[in-house]
Amino acid sequence: MKQNPYAGLKKVILAGMILVPLIPFILVLGIGYYYFTTSLENNTIASMRRIVQDHRQMIESFLMERKADLEFILNTNRFEDLIRPDKLQRTFENLQTESQAFVDLGIFDISGLHVAYYGPYQLSGKLYDQASWFKAVMRNGFYISNVFLGYRQVPHFVIAVAKMNQGRQWVIRATIDTHIFNDLVKKVRIGKTGEAYLLDAEGVFQTERRSGGPLMKKDPDRPRYGPVHEGIKTFIDSDAHGEPFLYATTWLKDGSWLLVVRQEKADAFKALRRASYLIVLISVIGGAIIIAVAFFLTGRIVRRMERMDQEKDQLDEQLIRAGRLAEIGEMSAGFAHEINNPLQIIKSEYALVEMILADLKERGELKQSEDLAELEDSIDQIKLQVDRCADITQAILQFGRKEEPVIKDIELRAFIPEVVGMVANKAGVHGIAIEQEISDQNSDVHGDLRHLQQVLVNLLNNAIDAVIARHGSSGGAIRIESGPAENGQVEINIRDNGSGISSENLKKVFTPFFTTKPVGKGTGLGLSVCYGIIDKMGGSMAVASQENVGTTFTIRLPSAK
Amino acid sequence: MEAMKIMLVDDEERFLSSTQKLLTKKGYEVVTASSGTEALEKIRGQNIHVVILDVKMPGMDGNATLKEIKRQFPLVEVIMLTGHATMESAIDGLKSGAMDYLMKPTDIDEIILKAEEAFGKRQGLEEKIRVARMRKLVKSPSEIIRES
Repeated sequence: MKQNPYAGLKKVILAGMILVPLIPFILVLGIGYYYFTTSLENNTIASMRRIVQDHRQMIESFLMERKADLEFILNTNRFEDLIRPDKLQRTFENLQTESQAFVDLGIFDISGLHVAYYGPYQLSGKLYDQASWFKAVMRNGFYISNVFLGYRQVPHFVIAVAKMNQGRQWVIRATIDTHIFNDLVKKVRIGKTGEAYLLDAEGVFQTERRSGGPLMKKDPDRPRYGPVHEGIKTFIDSDAHGEPFLYATTWLKDGSWLLVVRQEKADAFKALRRASYLIVLISVIGGAIIIAVAFFLTGRIVRRMERMDQEKDQLDEQLIRAGRLAEIGEMSAGFAHEINNPLQIIKSEYALVEMILADLKERGELKQSEDLAELEDSIDQIKLQVDRCADITQAILQFGRKEEPVIKDIELRAFIPEVVGMVANKAGVHGIAIEQEISDQNSDVHGDLRHLQQVLVNLLNNAIDAVIARHGSSGGAIRIESGPAENGQVEINIRDNGSGISSENLKKVFTPFFTTKPVGKGTGLGLSVCYGIIDKMGGSMAVASQENVGTTFTIRLPSAK
Repeated sequence: MEAMKIMLVDDEERFLSSTQKLLTKKGYEVVTASSGTEALEKIRGQNIHVVILDVKMPGMDGNATLKEIKRQFPLVEVIMLTGHATMESAIDGLKSGAMDYLMKPTDIDEIILKAEEAFGKRQGLEEKIRVARMRKLVKSPSEIIRES
């Protein structure tokens, strides 16, 4: 029955203790995660942009340098000199010291005729006036081709520069080694999967792609890169195999080549994933700790509340008992007082009867007979029973008395031996040893000397009776102890090895008129009076007992210090 | 010697009559009154030595009656008869000039014992008064001489 309110309470406390820290915890983690990942993502993308930017610059400067090399030759040599094979060879050799990327060198006149050539092929004498590259170079002054196979059936691209002004017009053309250019473009390494490659406007590979994509083949991902755009574009998209990539693209050579730098998304955002794992780990561990602590604390709180409730119940019970005792006391005092008046009359009547009877006998008006003896015996009984009634009403009146205790400091070290002295005679007669053990510390209590004396004498007398009932006239022992107890109280214990009290009776020992003594031997008020007295002094009284082992009465009183 | 004249004051008529009979048989002169007012009236007309006075009575209660008796007849000794185990009313009585108290139910012998004690005190007091008066009478002539 009692478990239910605690179970409900436990749930509420537990929910509160888990949710209150968990909500901010999750919020902090969530917000932290959001900002962290956003910034990490931005960082990753920014570094990608930087890489693509640097790479474009490098590629462009490579091409410009090669173009400048050719322009230098164009401007420092005359056509007539260069078409001489030995001069051309020397010039080429000089060029090669500038850059290993040059494969060959050719000179063309204005009609497109390949006038002189130095390189691994035999190309001179061919006419190029219809070739698109020749038309472009004549139009623009220079030309850098896409990678193509040409007559040689080897992928290559060419740089051509035309001398346009001052005198004779002619063209110088060099082939660039695609391997060297390829390596230059490819050499970017970002993480594990980062790679860079060049495409032409149609999406044909101008350089190899490390993850697969040979030269001159069309990139199936071309549509993803979109039309020509200014500056750098970054985006995340899946490639033809469905693998998500982070892309950064930029157009160079006036929109004829596209530089692509890409990295697998998982690789690019590895730190992000690691952060996610860490956050999940923290969430799990933190959540587990919060839940564990909540369970632990809730358990403690609920246990404590249960204990406090139990204590409160006990206190309530004590208060009710004290209240009931006070009520019973008042009622019985009134009752006893009223009974005393008729008792007084009965007593007077008895005295009158006795006197008249004596007079009659004296005057010889009553003869000695059996009836007379019986009458006299009956009259004696009236006196006896009235006296018994008087005893009871006296006890009741004492129980119900409203006298306030006179509180003083009582030194137990002196007081207890004094009280023990009062019953020592009776105990001694029955061979009962009374041991005393009084602590040196805190042995003073606040209380009414006379009342406490009454209580102790009463308890000691009870103990003696219990011991006699079990042991007769030897083997009995009573022990009276006192010492400090918790909450600034002093405890007095009276232990006996007497007959003990059955658990059934133990509940009723402080109830008024409860007695196990034979009729006429006790009023059943002694212990309830003691209880009331101790209660009035601000103390408490308890009993523990086991049948045929003994009984311990415990009195707790406020300490004097 | 003068016989003791006892007055019983209680609201219980039967107690009064029975006790009166008993005490009369023992040779005392007994007057009864069933209320404080009646008691005061009866004392006025007679020379009562000792009053046995119940504390709890309707109307004028024991302690009020006691105070009135002591005020009007300071020489009358009063013994309180109390039904309370509490000493309070008895102590109040003693403070107001009662000679002693008896706890109900009490024996007739006890009543007699305390009454005798009170009567003895009363007699002692009267004796002292008589002696004092005598002295005054004896002393008077010499005083007259001295004064003249």
